[in-house]
Amino acid sequence: MILGDFGTSYTKLVDTASEAGPRVVRTIDLEPGVRADLGTGHNARLRSDVVVNELVALAMGAKRRVAARSFVVLDCGSRDVKFVAFENGGFERAGWNSECGASMGFSIELLEMHFKLDYRTLSVPEDHLTVACGVLGMSAVFDAVAQGQEVGVAVARFVKGIAVSAHRFAGCPSVLHLCGGLCENPLFVSSLPATVNPLGRFLLLDGLREIAGSSGQPRLT
Amino acid sequence: MTERVGIIGVPPLETIRRLRDERADVVDLDATTPNINVEEEARLIPRYYCAVLRTVLSNGLRLDLDRVYADVGRGKCDGARYVVNVLKHELRAPVVETRNEDSERRGNPVCVSSLPLVEKFNKIVESVKLPDGAAGDFPASRPRCGFWGVPPRDFSLLELFPPETHVFGWARCMENKTPADMDLELEFDPEIPTVFFAQSFCAKNSIAYYLAHLHPMGFYVDGDFDISASTRAKVEAFLELNGVVGARRS
Repeated sequence: MILGDFGTSYTKLVDTASEAGPRVVRTIDLEPGVRADLGTGHNARLRSDVVVNELVALAMGAKRRVAARSFVVLDCGSRDVKFVAFENGGFERAGWNSECGASMGFSIELLEMHFKLDYRTLSVPEDHLTVACGVLGMSAVFDAVAQGQEVGVAVARFVKGIAVSAHRFAGCPSVLHLCGGLCENPLFVSSLPATVNPLGRFLLLDGLREIAGSSGQPRLT
Repeated sequence: MTERVGIIGVPPLETIRRLRDERADVVDLDATTPNINVEEEARLIPRYYCAVLRTVLSNGLRLDLDRVYADVGRGKCDGARYVVNVLKHELRAPVVETRNEDSERRGNPVCVSSLPLVEKFNKIVESVKLPDGAAGDFPASRPRCGFWGVPPRDFSLLELFPPETHVFGWARCMENKTPADMDLELEFDPEIPTVFFAQSFCAKNSIAYYLAHLHPMGFYVDGDFDISASTRAKVEAFLELNGVVGARRS
């Protein structure tokens, strides 16, 4: 069975019959014929026989990977930020910010390419820019640079601003289970004001595995 | 000649009975009217405002009414009181303020029936114009989840719920014809997963949010003119992960 997490910038695919692990493809490079039996993500409807709600995939993946019964998992993607909070093993609340907090992951990547930066070499700054969304945040970066701030510092303040916003959005947990492509960005992870447990970028695929193995009927309790 | 009379909120039973006796054509100004674009009143009311009250203003100004009865009592909100003032200034037709203090609960068979949730809300909204409430026999259902709140501007939110959804909050007060009955408004069933809904920019958001916190399986959402894709996904996930509905797959 092919499982697919069809994100805005990256697509993650796995064949459950194969020993090979998941593969990541830039979504714009994905060939037209690629389809999944079970899919989730922003573009899933275009490429999946069966589509799973992203929050459900996130919740089921987190339950598979996190032993705690009360915790918050946050998925920072290219286009949106979403979280699910569990209390005593049950669904407590969820948030999905695809409008106001949009394009945060996308803009982090865009700035790295635009300014030819390497996030592995940037230090976490003391303060941060106030970032309501990726687009407005990028304007703040350009303003800071125009006022003489060093590019690397301005971008790092932007990244920390996104991390702080995402943490607030998830309800300011002291421990945060993080998934999505930004798990691989050390500046972002270190900028989060919480103890972070990075779960990698394939958590939604784990959720799909869980659903595929339970006859497609996810239940948390 | 039949008069066309607009109502805002839930006017007292006495007013509704009088309108029935006068054989008035009663129009609920809170309800969405096809072909009326609220953006045309943007010069009179802020865009970032309660979608229902923006609808009230547009309906009031565009439906060629002979009279308006606006409930501005404890069962309605400050926002409505201000919008009624705008209507008074902008309309030639008289705008009569009422204060509904009716306290006799008339029952809520529709709220606890097995009708699909959209139909429940259609009947509840329609019942405001009917002195005797919604006509018909509505067998009660065994609840699988709850919907607390006001009728949403966008009824497509209601399509996500199963028919065994019981209605709470101000919508239950509407069916009971006791819009100022705060005790009834605050009721919920802690045994069933419940979505607590309020219109964006409405003061009821604070109590919806807090009740969702109190409820062991409560979930708060708000919605403006249209229910956003993320709100829809959140409600779907809540219902699915609590086992209220089967997995939705397309």
